[in-house]
Amino acid sequence: MNPILPLLQFSDATFPVGTFSFSNGLETASYEGLVHDAASLEQYTRAAALQAAFSDGVAALHAYRAALEGRYDDILAADEALLRFKMNDEARLMLKRMGKKLAELGVHLWGEDSLMARWLEDIKAGKTPGCYPVAQGMAFAAAGIGERELYASHQYGVANMVVSAALRCVRVSHYDTQRILFNLAADTDAHYEQARAMTLDQMHAFVPEMDIMASLHEKGKMRMFMN
Amino acid sequence: MPAPTHQRHYSDAPKVDFDSAPEMQPYLAEPDAMYVGCPGKHGYLNLGFELDKTGKSIMRELDRRAPLIVQQELYFDEEMPDLPCVYILSSGGPNVDGDRYVQRFTMHEGSMAFVSTGAATKLAEMRRNYSGMTQEFNLEADTYLEYLPEPIIPCRHTRFICDTRIVAHPTATLFYSEIYMGGRKYYGDGELFQYDVLSVCTHGERPDGEQLFREKFVIDPARMPLRDAGFMGPYDVFANVIVLTPPDKAAAIYDATEPFIDHDKKLAAGITHLPGEAGLLFKVLGMEPGPVKAVVREFCSRVRLAVKHRPVPPEFPWR
Repeated sequence: MNPILPLLQFSDATFPVGTFSFSNGLETASYEGLVHDAASLEQYTRAAALQAAFSDGVAALHAYRAALEGRYDDILAADEALLRFKMNDEARLMLKRMGKKLAELGVHLWGEDSLMARWLEDIKAGKTPGCYPVAQGMAFAAAGIGERELYASHQYGVANMVVSAALRCVRVSHYDTQRILFNLAADTDAHYEQARAMTLDQMHAFVPEMDIMASLHEKGKMRMFMN
Repeated sequence: MPAPTHQRHYSDAPKVDFDSAPEMQPYLAEPDAMYVGCPGKHGYLNLGFELDKTGKSIMRELDRRAPLIVQQELYFDEEMPDLPCVYILSSGGPNVDGDRYVQRFTMHEGSMAFVSTGAATKLAEMRRNYSGMTQEFNLEADTYLEYLPEPIIPCRHTRFICDTRIVAHPTATLFYSEIYMGGRKYYGDGELFQYDVLSVCTHGERPDGEQLFREKFVIDPARMPLRDAGFMGPYDVFANVIVLTPPDKAAAIYDATEPFIDHDKKLAAGITHLPGEAGLLFKVLGMEPGPVKAVVREFCSRVRLAVKHRPVPPEFPWR
C-alpha cells in the first residue's frame, strides 16, 4: 500500500481518537484574554507545538523504532517515560484517553494478534498508561509509514487540535487557522532533526504560562473541552 | 569507638559532568582563567539531618568544599522552634565559567529541616564553558524538608545546567522551590533573557527505585519566542515548586490552593498533581522577585500547615 494513504488517514482531523474533546488549555487562555485574535492564537499554538516537539514527539519516535524492531519492553519504557514527564493531570488524561482509543482502533486494523492488541491488553490491565504519541508510533510502524512522516503528523495533530478548538472559542476564521497551520509547518523538519537524536531522559518542555492555563482549567468550571 | 549511626560521605567532591548534554555542546571549551572544576570552582556540600537522643532534629553531617559554605544549624523559626535552619553561602560570589557544584541533603528518619541561601544565586557571564550542578535529596520515612532558596539570577551569556535527584519515602514531605529571574533587569539597559541557556531537570523516585516523575526544561532565549503567549508572555520571573508528600496531605494542600491570574499585579500561579501520586507541582509567574517570593512562601506555609500544623512565619524584613 502507498504509505501516503494511511498517513492521510491517521492525520485526519476526523480520525476517531477524540481530539475534538481537548483544547490544550486554549479554553482558559481564551477566557482570560491571553488568546483573543489570530496573532495570539498563532503564538499559543506554536507554544503547544514546541512543548510537544521535544517531549511527546520524542516518545513517539522511540515507540516507533521499538515497534519496528519488535522491542516491546522499549514501547512500554517510552510510554512510562512520557507519562512521568507530563506535569499536569488533564494532559495525562488526554494522552491516555486518546492513546487507548487509537489502541482499540488499531486492533480493528491489524487484528487480535497484533502488537497493538497486546499493548491494549496491558493498558486494560493497568500495566502501561497507554499514551497517544506511543500509540501513534506503533500505528505508523505497523502501516509502513516513515519516521519523519510520523513526527510531522504528530506535530500537525497537536497544532490542529488547538486551532480546531479555537474555531469554537476564539474569534478567528478558517482562513486564520489554516494560515497558522501552514506557518507552523515550516518549523517541523528542524524540530525533527533535533528530536530524532534525543533520548527519553532528554525530553524537555518550557511553557509556564500554558501550564498555569492548564491549572486554571483543572480547578475551574469551564468544560466545553476536557483540557 | 562506637560505630557511626549512618554512612558518612567524607570524600573528594564527586565529579559533575554535563558535557554530553545536547544543550551544552556549544559550551565545552576550557575557560581562559581557572580550569574546569579546579579547587575553589568545585563546590561540595553534604548535609545530613537526624534526630538526637532527645528526639530533636540536628544537622549531624556537614561536609563542604569551597566555594560552598554552611556553618551550623540555627533554630530561629518562631513557629517551629525545633526546626534546624541552614543557610548555604558561597564565598565565590556568583557561579562562574567552569564552576561545578554538588549538593547532597539527607534527612534521616523522623528529622526535619529548613534550607535556604543567604542571598540570590548569581550566575555570571560565561564565555567558554558552563556552570553545572547536581543535587541529591534523600528523604527517609517521616521526614520533612523545606528547601526555599533565594532567586537565581542569570546574566548575559550565562549557561547553567542542573540535575536534581530526589529519593523520597512515601511518608516524607519535601518542599523544593526554585525562582528564576529573567536576568539582571535593571543592570545597564537591562539584561532580560539574554542568557544563553538554562537547563533544569528534577526527577523523583522512591527508595525501592520506582520512578515517579521527571521534569526538564531547557530555556534557550535565542531560539524560543519566550515573550509569546504560552511561554513567559509578559512575565519576567518564574518559580517552580515541587512538593512531594503523601496523597492525603497533597489533597488538603491542593484543595486549599487556588490558581489565579492577577492582571493588575501581573502575577499568576497554577497548581496540579505530579505523576505517580507523588505530590504537587506549583508554578508562579510575575514581574519582580518580591511578589513571586511571597506567593511561594505563602504556598510553603500551606504545605507546612497540612503536614506540621504550623504556618511559616513572616519573612525577615531584610530578606
